[in-house]
Amino acid sequence: MIRVEGLRKSFQTRTGRVQAVDGVSFVAADGQITGLLGPNGAGKTTTLRMLYTLMSPDSGRVLVDGLDAASEPTRVRACLGVLPDARGIYKRLTARENIAYFGALHGLDARLIAERTERVVSALEMRDFIDRRAEGFSQGQRTKTAIARALVHAPRNVLLDEPTNGLDVMTTRSLRNFLLEQRAAGRCMLLSSHIMQEVARLCDRIVVIAHGHVVADGTPDELRESTGCANLEDAFVKAIGSDEGLFA
Amino acid sequence: MRALWIILRKELLDAFRDRRMLLVAFVVIPLAIPLVLAGTNALSARKQTRQLEGPLELPVIGAERAPNLVAWLQSHNVKVLPAPRDADAAVRTQERDVVLRIDEKYGEDWRSGRPASVEVIFDSSRPLASGATVARLGGLLDGYSSTVGTLRLVARGIHPAVANPLQVGTRDVATPEARFDLSQQILPYLLLLLAFIGGLQLAVDATAGERERQSLEPLLATPVARESIISAKILATAVFSLLSIAVTLIAYRLVFAVVPARGMDASFNLGPGGLLQLFLIILPIVLLGATVLTALAAFARSYREAQGYLPLLMFLPMIPSLVLMVAPVRTQLWMLAVPFLSQNQMIVRVLRSERISALDWAVSLGASFAVVGVVWWIAARLYHREQLATSS
Repeated sequence: MIRVEGLRKSFQTRTGRVQAVDGVSFVAADGQITGLLGPNGAGKTTTLRMLYTLMSPDSGRVLVDGLDAASEPTRVRACLGVLPDARGIYKRLTARENIAYFGALHGLDARLIAERTERVVSALEMRDFIDRRAEGFSQGQRTKTAIARALVHAPRNVLLDEPTNGLDVMTTRSLRNFLLEQRAAGRCMLLSSHIMQEVARLCDRIVVIAHGHVVADGTPDELRESTGCANLEDAFVKAIGSDEGLFA
Repeated sequence: MRALWIILRKELLDAFRDRRMLLVAFVVIPLAIPLVLAGTNALSARKQTRQLEGPLELPVIGAERAPNLVAWLQSHNVKVLPAPRDADAAVRTQERDVVLRIDEKYGEDWRSGRPASVEVIFDSSRPLASGATVARLGGLLDGYSSTVGTLRLVARGIHPAVANPLQVGTRDVATPEARFDLSQQILPYLLLLLAFIGGLQLAVDATAGERERQSLEPLLATPVARESIISAKILATAVFSLLSIAVTLIAYRLVFAVVPARGMDASFNLGPGGLLQLFLIILPIVLLGATVLTALAAFARSYREAQGYLPLLMFLPMIPSLVLMVAPVRTQLWMLAVPFLSQNQMIVRVLRSERISALDWAVSLGASFAVVGVVWWIAARLYHREQLATSS
């Protein structure tokens, strides 16, 4: 379970300070898929980066399975599986070696890594490229490899930054089924997206972020109810206050 | 520790699959260094032989005024040539190494027993190109002068020894290994340069490159401590450089075993013990280079920026060599505590087959490893910066 309380983060840029995240709080429960929805530049990636301790918040705190990310960053990272915005994989290694490297860094032994890799290879349909070097992989193949390496240590909590970004329909379908399986296994899944349809389809709970604030938080039904719109799309537009970036 | 080993192994695997990196580290450099040294050595040996033993080509102005002198020179392997129109210009433009001018009043002075004037025209700003030739001509003229002088004394019934109150002899105490030679000048610098920046490709690839390819962020999201990550990358860089240097030293040994050219400098014939000593001397420089490069690559915002520091880094190992070239001084213990200067001195000592005391070893290795420790700590601090993974 992931609990986020009053996160704030600002950056110094050439033109002045930018408040990227301005008081974000939410809870992502186990056995659920929680969606972090917002237009581009709303603060989703920065929020996730604070969750996996790449950045430290100016104020507020992050609890992962009850562990404070500020005081125990290593243990927090150990119980997280992360697909960051940056999907880089090592192009001179095969997909299998990429996955094994991260498994080993999480302290898994070779036998367990092989077993887990086998499972994820069939779940994500990676059979035809698993032993090829990553040089020249398609975007879908790269994303699948990155997801596989993020989950090889079977983390209790999974963070996915825009997981379907740039994927074709077939790949998106297999990824979606995979995420639903993970949910069924009782994991806490948190994914960010700027695509409303995707979030509506997958998520049990939706946290809408705009300009660094949480502007709505609830199940899809609750969102429709609170905004008074029968249609989810209208509900989002109303929650965000504009339709910028939602359909990019 | 386990994570460090895993990352080290992966970085090396990654590097060993990069064909271009392998080609440079294990083929181009190991071949280039011995071949360049062998080439320059052979060239200088040939030039020396030609200058000292071949016919000396000498344009003479006014050769007709001193037929005996000219005949004597010709009998001593001098090829007398007609005078150029402008002797000064011919020397200055290096058309001629040296020109001899015989004074107009040479005959008159000679006959009346006054010292007759001859003038050697040369360019002292080119000691390497023409120095040997000028010295050879000087020796010949001295020889002629003293021969004629001796004959004149004898003709007047005076013993020639009367005119030689001093007999100066010289004795060269240099061992064959310690003779001034080219490799002693160039090899320390080449070795230090290779040790210091030989791992550049890997270091930049493993840090700035990793960030540019966006694989650093996932790596930092694993539970591995950043100290372990950067230490593994430093060690991978060092191991790669050491392998490259080992291959280079072996290639160096092989090249000079195959082409033992005549007049080869003795220090090219290092035994396995000497090679091992060289290896040990530059070990701290390899680690220092790996650490500095990794720190720079972590500090630089991109691959290109990291490579922009290259000229600066190439200059660093050159400084002590330059200082010693301009102001050669006797080795003192404090020098062995200064990185680069220390290694330079130690390498020269190995090449000269001089004994290196345990204290010298301790100071050289100890001080250099201490510097490595400090830079390592700075690199680890840099790796903790928040912008590290995200500013791309």
